[in-house]
Amino acid sequence: MRRYLALMRVGWLVDLQYRAAIVIWLVLGAAQPLVSLAIWWVVAGGGEVGGFGRADFARYFFALMLVDQLTLAWDVWYIDRWIREGEMNFRLARPLDPIHEAIADNLAYKAKSAALTAGVWAVTAVFWPAVRLPFEPAQWLLAGMAVVPAMAIRFLSTYVNGLLAFWTTRATAIAELQYGLSLFLSGRIAPLSLLPPVVTAAAGVLWFPYMLAFPVEVLTGQVTAGPEYLRGLGWQLLWVGIWLGLYRVVWVRGRRHYGAVGG
Amino acid sequence: MIIRAESLTKHYRVKVRDPGLRGALRSVFRPRYREVVAVESVTFGIREGEIVGFLGPNGAGKTTMIKMLAGLLYPTRGRAVVAGYDPWTGGAAFRSRFALVLGNKQQLVWDLPPEETFLLNRAIYAVSWPDYRRRVDELVGLLRLEDVLGKPVRQLSQGERMKCELAAALIHHPRILFLDEPTLGLDITAQETIRAFVRDYRDRTGATVLLTSHYMADVTALADRVLIINHGRLLYDGALGALAERIAPVKRVELTFSREVAGAEVERFGVVRSREPRRATLEVPRDGVAQVSGRLLSELPVADLTISDPPIEEVIGRVFAGETGAGAP
Repeated sequence: MRRYLALMRVGWLVDLQYRAAIVIWLVLGAAQPLVSLAIWWVVAGGGEVGGFGRADFARYFFALMLVDQLTLAWDVWYIDRWIREGEMNFRLARPLDPIHEAIADNLAYKAKSAALTAGVWAVTAVFWPAVRLPFEPAQWLLAGMAVVPAMAIRFLSTYVNGLLAFWTTRATAIAELQYGLSLFLSGRIAPLSLLPPVVTAAAGVLWFPYMLAFPVEVLTGQVTAGPEYLRGLGWQLLWVGIWLGLYRVVWVRGRRHYGAVGG
Repeated sequence: MIIRAESLTKHYRVKVRDPGLRGALRSVFRPRYREVVAVESVTFGIREGEIVGFLGPNGAGKTTMIKMLAGLLYPTRGRAVVAGYDPWTGGAAFRSRFALVLGNKQQLVWDLPPEETFLLNRAIYAVSWPDYRRRVDELVGLLRLEDVLGKPVRQLSQGERMKCELAAALIHHPRILFLDEPTLGLDITAQETIRAFVRDYRDRTGATVLLTSHYMADVTALADRVLIINHGRLLYDGALGALAERIAPVKRVELTFSREVAGAEVERFGVVRSREPRRATLEVPRDGVAQVSGRLLSELPVADLTISDPPIEEVIGRVFAGETGAGAP
């Protein structure tokens, strides 16, 4: 715990040096959901689309913006650099698995970015009733319980992707491919129920919707307590387990393959 | 022995690609690999409290050896025991017992003052607050870091950064110090500060130091013993002084004459390494140097005569060039 606090402290102090960069990242993070919202807002002007009215879209994409910040993971870029440029060396010489530094840094950043996003949403809700969520703390608690495994899935998948740099110099290209797929399969471009049934069915057995769309649907009340929620939570736990297993295998094998370049 | 390496071997598999588009396409569909020998069957032991220097040209295998002993790299063959642990399975307990300082890669957090890295290492290595305070005060005093502790690392000079790197690495009081090119790129004054500090640290704490360096002065000033390595093979293990005796069993005699002396007159006494009208440098067999000096003084107009060992760089150059039969003991 003391180690996590120390690592998070460093993360916060470094972020303070890059205040402007954080604002830019936040704006960029908000841009994509807002653009999607703008498009669907126009499309839904003539009436509901697949059961979604304009206000439903507004709530969905604001919730997406918050869950995106809460589950955000960028570690592939760091891990890839650590491995390729030899920055992994001193981390491997410390009595602390490098994944803990990545987790602490991730949590330190999210604590700020998610709080800011929630604040922006709250202020917007004052002036724009369409984005208001019904006051249902029990539902928010369910959403919170779905966000935690979503954070784990997204972090682990990104971290494992970064560890591929033990073998290839194209780890970040694989990450870009994963992001491209997630645009459709995680509910970023549109709620999953609006996609063709075959795409929705394929997404349902992959990890993508469980790191974004599922917690968003719980937060907006599309999925409430019941079999559908439990099924989603079950899939989430399954994917956490799969990614954890992959992490162990890739980490152990990657360490053996490591060339420790660059000093 | 605090460090023991037995037949330690590391081979890398490197992808080979022909130049041009055709080469690039061929490497995609039919990749070819070549095996590179970084370290080949190296065996040695290091006693607690020793300072041992790895000497060798670029690509000799020095850094690979240190990274294997620190558990960063897995060997292709062989085994090692470091501080009582297998470096590759020793886990956190093993990693708490050594420090690794890499001259060309820093662990200091770039955007923050060095003390933030000290505090981070305090947490990572679970150092108590009184121990931390005492060690930081001591390290700051010895390395004269008072004025740099509050500055962001990015504003420090290279010498200041390396001193801070050393301090950060020693917060947990390691028993073994692996130093890879610790004076790389530093000016003479900073190099001397680092050398004096490392020797003093060993004397005070009894820590074992294993260092690699391109600077011969680092090794001659610090190392009790050297391991000379080239093409991954251990060529020599012993004291530097003994190396000179073994590899170059000659003494160097520098002469200044009171008048001009012809080359033929000087060549009678030994191998002429350099000559000017009034100066000459000769190499003569070590066991005959007294007799030759006497003859030089009586037969030539000698104004000054100095006897020394050949420069260590030259001796080691002979080892690398395979001029002698020096082998690992």
